[in-house]
This record gives sequence, C-alpha cells and structure tokens, in this order.
Amino acid sequence: MASTIPFKLISPTQVVFEGDAELVIAVTTEGEEGILPHHAPFLAALRPGVLRANVLEGGAAKRLELATSEGFLQALPERLTVLVDQALRFEEVDVNGARTELAEAQECQKSAAADSPQYQHEQAAIDYANAKLRLTGH
Amino acid sequence: MPSVKDLRERLKSLKNTQQITKAMKQVAAAKIRRAETARKQARPYADTLSEMLRDLIAGSSSVDHPFMKPGKEGAPAGLVLMTADKGLAGAFNSNLIRAAELYRREHADTLFYAVGTKARNAVRRMGQSDRPNWALSAQAKTDTAREVAQQVTDDFVAGSIGSITLVSAKLVSMMAQRAETRKLVPVEPAELSGEDQKEPGLKAAVEFAPSAEFVLSCLLPKYLEFTLFSAMLETDAAFFAAQLLAMNNATDNAGKLIDELTIVMNNARQAAITKELLEIVAGAEALS
Repeated sequence: MASTIPFKLISPTQVVFEGDAELVIAVTTEGEEGILPHHAPFLAALRPGVLRANVLEGGAAKRLELATSEGFLQALPERLTVLVDQALRFEEVDVNGARTELAEAQECQKSAAADSPQYQHEQAAIDYANAKLRLTGH
Repeated sequence: MPSVKDLRERLKSLKNTQQITKAMKQVAAAKIRRAETARKQARPYADTLSEMLRDLIAGSSSVDHPFMKPGKEGAPAGLVLMTADKGLAGAFNSNLIRAAELYRREHADTLFYAVGTKARNAVRRMGQSDRPNWALSAQAKTDTAREVAQQVTDDFVAGSIGSITLVSAKLVSMMAQRAETRKLVPVEPAELSGEDQKEPGLKAAVEFAPSAEFVLSCLLPKYLEFTLFSAMLETDAAFFAAQLLAMNNATDNAGKLIDELTIVMNNARQAAITKELLEIVAGAEALS
C-alpha cells in the first residue's frame, strides 16, 4: 500500500475534507502540482481550478475531485493543508449558475483595463466558473 | 391615586411587553447558537492561515509589500467600526462606538469605515456622512468582508489612509462582551509570530512557489479579508449574547413591575369596595 499523509481541505465556512491522502494535485499559479507524502516543505498560492486527490476514506481508496477557488497549499512533512475560499464537490455544482457567472465575469472583464485589480478579479471568477464546469464535465 | 381601570390597562401593556422581550430572548438564544457554530467552523481556517503567514514571514528575508511598510506619513488613520445592525442589546453598540470615539480622540485625523447600521449612524453623527458602509447581518459575510478589505486596501495603497485599525466586539463569554481595538495594517511581524515557535529550523527550508514574496502578496490581503470576516462573525455572536442578556433582564424587570403593580391594583380595588360599602352602610343608617 502506498504511504499516505494527513490531508485537510479547509474553507472559511467549513472543513471540506479531512483524512489521509496518497496524492494531491492542485493548480498553483505555476501550473498543476502533484504532492506526494514526504514532499519537501512547500507553500504555494493556488489558482481557481479542479483539485484532485487520491484519498483513503474508511480504509478504501477514493478519488476526490473538487472545484476550488483561489487559495493556498501548505505541505509539511507530517501534514498537507489546502486553504481555499470555496470548494464544491461534483454534486454541489450548480451548472446553470456557473454558466451565468462565467458569462457575467467575461462581460465585466471586457470593460476593465488589463492588469487592473478588477481585471484580475474577473479572471479569477472566470477560472472558478470554468473549473466548476470542467468538474461536471461540461 | 390612579384608578383601578388605569392600573389594569398599565398591567396589560406590561404583560405584552414582557411577552415581546421573552420572545426576543428566545430568538437571540437560537441565533447565538447558529452564530457560534459559524465561528467554530471558521476556526481551522484562521489557525492555518496565521500559521502560513508566520512561516512565510520567517522564511522570506526581505518583504516588499505595502502592508508590511509603515503607511504614508501624515495621512489620516483608517478605522473600521463594526457594530450590529439592530439595537435592543443593552450597551453593546454604544460600547463599540465609545471605543471608536476614544480612538478618534487619540488620533487627530480619523476616517471611518462602518460595518453595521448602528456604526453607520454613529459615523454620520460624528460628521462623516459620506463614508462607505456595509450591513453586518448580510447573508454572504465573506462577500462583505471582501468588499471592506478591498476598499481599505485601495485607500491604504493610494495613501489616503496611513493605517488600518479595527474596532469590533469580542465575545469573552456568554455573559461578557467587550469592544476590542486592533491594529491590522501595517502588519507587525512580531504580532504574528506569537505563541508557538515550534520547529524553527524547519521554517527556513520551506520552498515557495513561485516565490515567497509572491505568495505573501497573495496571503496578506487574504489575511486582512479573513480577519475582517472572523471579526464579523464574532461581533454577530457577541451581539446575540448581549441581546440575550438584555432581554433576559428586561423580562425579569417586567415581571417585578407586574408583581408590584398587581399589589397596588388589588389595594386600589379593595379600597374602592370598602368605600362603597361604607357609603351603603352610612346611607342605610341615615334612613333608619
């Protein structure tokens, strides 16, 4: 059996997941990053995207996939923590809502100057909406 | 001496008032439970966030972020005043507003940001009618917190305020809430690296992607935003605790008043009966 590391996924309103993980793949600002147990101490900023993890739940291996918004990932020898503003499981995603959000954010982005905080904010919203759609296979 | 009828009416209105305060007490008790749960759920995030920030500041040698540097000299101090939207909670709101006034007295020039209807009104009374304000009891507190954080950050970076301070309520216990004044920006590294300084050797070896400075520039605004968010949750919980206490006292006081008034009313009624009897007896004697 592969080794595991205690993994926690936390949002401001709840602890979304807590358990042991064999592998966690998150979208950092530099691209996708896979974290295995015994990773060197590591701290990264995350972009909105789909976070995937191989976790053990009740002794059985399981695939965990979530659409996450901006956040941070912290890997320590003894644990792995991901902080995000929002995290949604497959069944929690509102597909039509995400489509509307995507359209609105794209519309707003057009009127914002590139490189402005407003532009960045809309880009994050677009990425998050896209992540939600990708998670649900749209 | 008031007539029996007057007394009876006063008693009736008192009983109504008591019923209202009792209902409000029960509502507050239910709401405080919800507010407390929300606060507990935000706990793990808060702990992890401040831990990450500690690691970062320890791990990065030179920190180049506006939040870490002293604000523009001579600029007014920014004060985020957080109160409840509603009253009927004893001295809860006035304590917070007094704390803000105290701060204002120490700092000649203060610009307010009001969260909560009572804060907005207080800020208006202080003569700053055009300051930005938000409601505390909005459904999506994370959104409100983000907006507040965005606004103060913009003003701080633009140099229209030189520091950011927060006045919010602290829930010491169910029976005690007090106003707390905290300086948020510029961030003092010493404050963050407070209690647990475990595994200091490890911190230095942390890898950052893409760089410590970049992660820090993402984390600091998030930290401010989340501090505001958790302060909102705590102010909310403290408000309901204060309201619970105030309504409990009001119900007790109404009960006492009802008891007193009932005795007065019974006395008055008895006096009236005795007087009538005396009149009848006197009348009968006069006839015989």
